[in-house]
Amino acid sequence: MKRSLSLILAAVLITAMLLTLIPGCGPKVEEKVIKIAVVGPMKFIQGEHHWAGAEMAAEKINKAGGVKVGEEFYTIKLVKVDTDEIVDPDGAVSAVEKAITSDKVDFLVGGFRTEAVMAYTKMVAEDYQKIFMICGAATNELLEGRVDKDYDTYKYLFRVTPIKSSDLVTVSVLMTAQVAQTIREQLGIMQPKVAVLSENLQWNRVLVNMAPAIMKDKLKLDYVGTWDVSATATDITPELKAIEKAGAHIIYTIISGPLGITYARQWGELGIPAASVGINVEAQKDGFLEATKGYGAYDYTLNTYAPVKITYMTIPFYNDFVKKVGQTPIYTAGTYEAIYLLREAIERAGSLDTDAIIKEMEKTEKVTATGKFKFTATHDVQWGPGWVTGLGVQWQDGKMVATWPFKWKPDPEKAPTLEITYPGVVPYKLPPRVLEFWKQD
Amino acid sequence: MSVLRWLFRYVRNEVLVLPSRVIAVVFCLSLLLLPLFTSNHYHYRIMALAGIFAIFAASWDLLSGFVGQVSFGHALFFGVAAYTASLLNLRLGMTHYLTIPLGAVAAVAVGLIIGIPCLRLKGPYLGLATLAFPIMMIGLIFTFPGFFGGELGISIKTKLAPTRLHDFYVCTLAMFSLGFIMWKITDSKIGIIFHAIREDEIAVRASGINTVKYKLLAFCLSGFFAGIAGAMYAHFQRVATPLSLAVLMSFQAIIWSIFGGIATIYGAIAGVYILFPVMEILRVVMEIRMLLFAAIVLLVLRFMPEGVTKWTRDRLERECPRCKVRNAFSRRECRVCFSPIRRELQKTTP
Repeated sequence: MKRSLSLILAAVLITAMLLTLIPGCGPKVEEKVIKIAVVGPMKFIQGEHHWAGAEMAAEKINKAGGVKVGEEFYTIKLVKVDTDEIVDPDGAVSAVEKAITSDKVDFLVGGFRTEAVMAYTKMVAEDYQKIFMICGAATNELLEGRVDKDYDTYKYLFRVTPIKSSDLVTVSVLMTAQVAQTIREQLGIMQPKVAVLSENLQWNRVLVNMAPAIMKDKLKLDYVGTWDVSATATDITPELKAIEKAGAHIIYTIISGPLGITYARQWGELGIPAASVGINVEAQKDGFLEATKGYGAYDYTLNTYAPVKITYMTIPFYNDFVKKVGQTPIYTAGTYEAIYLLREAIERAGSLDTDAIIKEMEKTEKVTATGKFKFTATHDVQWGPGWVTGLGVQWQDGKMVATWPFKWKPDPEKAPTLEITYPGVVPYKLPPRVLEFWKQD
Repeated sequence: MSVLRWLFRYVRNEVLVLPSRVIAVVFCLSLLLLPLFTSNHYHYRIMALAGIFAIFAASWDLLSGFVGQVSFGHALFFGVAAYTASLLNLRLGMTHYLTIPLGAVAAVAVGLIIGIPCLRLKGPYLGLATLAFPIMMIGLIFTFPGFFGGELGISIKTKLAPTRLHDFYVCTLAMFSLGFIMWKITDSKIGIIFHAIREDEIAVRASGINTVKYKLLAFCLSGFFAGIAGAMYAHFQRVATPLSLAVLMSFQAIIWSIFGGIATIYGAIAGVYILFPVMEILRVVMEIRMLLFAAIVLLVLRFMPEGVTKWTRDRLERECPRCKVRNAFSRRECRVCFSPIRRELQKTTP
């Protein structure tokens, strides 16, 4: 009896010892973890790139030892928050609140659809006082009128990608100037005609209203009209035919949604003899040419990433991303930068105190894959020569290539010698049919 | 003491005798005691939203389930109240004590405006006409983005309540009280006329009842309750967006009501309290969330065509063939007239 009791006791002890060797069963070693929620529509490319960018950053940081907070090292743990905000923006707020209250995340990065981002950043800042780094929504009002007007409430919000919508306007206007110049040089048309084609959404209203004056006064173009199309239109033949009839040489697009595919396909299919330039978010994606059955060739749009040397970090990041995901990164992959910016601010602050991190974040000046980075007074991306500028990309010969900034003179009067061309940026090409049509004409 | 004795007797004789009433009481108590089991703000949020949507779904049931005026655009009332509340709060600085009732009044006005032209229409024609109104309203919002805020909507300054816990109690108590009022309306003389209009409008008219007046009343009442829900929603979310007018919002009210059991009020409320949290739980399988949701709804409608609440009640209770009083399934004789209750008889009851 005594012997069998000893045997049982020994067996229990050995089992207990073995169990301690299994991860999670041993005595709990307190692991220092920083939880970051990656917020986005994970079923869509925007969310996939949010996640991939964040994962790349977290893997690299953890591999290098983690985030140093004072004398201790913390591991980054990512929490995937599928907000489904493209389909259900209201439900996105619930998903974010779940991440904060159930998953107990410390920081948040991501966001895409402005309506949803507007609502959940309001909740994050007002109710939970957590730092949210926006990587995917451009609307000025996400920060303007918030951080500047009510700093104490909204100081938790920062934007990393893309540049704010008014800066996107500036870049797209510069790209249009480049196209106009090419038309002048190659076709001899001194005052090209420009038509504006936009989706009827609130985010672009300022731009749509400003466009005629910009085209006429700033770019010295002959403005022929604005065609405001439903954001969900599946056929815009009448608008394109009207633009053709108006004799436009350039179509300036302001499109963020799926209308971009409809537009580019029909623009090519109908053989509209006008160069397309501006904002077409769909044209930033890898599958654009397939989606438009090749008719989207030579469309020229804004972008954030391309295999050009904006800084020494751009091409390595670009290549790593393509290797990991098999796709060209879109602007939501800015979660990569966001996590690095966050790490640096935490390390400089030496603590996880939110206010201390915000103070450090505001002092940020760092070279990133998108350019030299710092935050403005409204916690937005500092845009301009020497800082983040954005890129213009064109679909040439079946490939997406960067074509802006190319010999860009930001201030010809004050700094006539300053000319910016990122290594790898190639000249813009007019679509062959535009060349043929207007040369014959 | 006598009140307690009356209460005890009431509970014993009126509540505990029927399983459906026991379920209702348990549901209400567990809702009120939820903070004892969780302090997670996310759980409060989901239950607060469920409360708001329950009022909204019940208001649809009041109009479409009881009066038979099938509305495919019920989000109009919800959205108009949400925007009215937001505009009054933002531009005139009114608090939610004023904006919520005024939002509901605006929804009543809209109920009248759409009720009058729609009175001549019936069935699918009425449904399609009601569907058009919220779409027109969305068009208006996008036409005047400076005033309505376009797709970004209008932000609200005043929260519904200071904390999530308060939000939860405000919404839950509003759901209890407004749900009870709607249920009492359907149980009143007006409710009987509503029923009659749905079943045979010509017969009602032949009885000398002004059906136009009652149908307009139904539009206004339904608009009022949906409006309260919409205005509360705007204050809860702190923003009114065109999504509050979206077709999906209208269809959700229909799905919740049919799922729970149409023409009951409590069925619509139960539908929301089942489906809304289920949708949240399904976030763990986000890729197939909508597929699973559709499968659940389809299966329930296939096997419980009259809705979850009616199906459950029919399993747990039997109607006395003689006095028509409902009894617990375990009883062999009626609790009122003591007539024998046989299963066979129950099955033949239409």
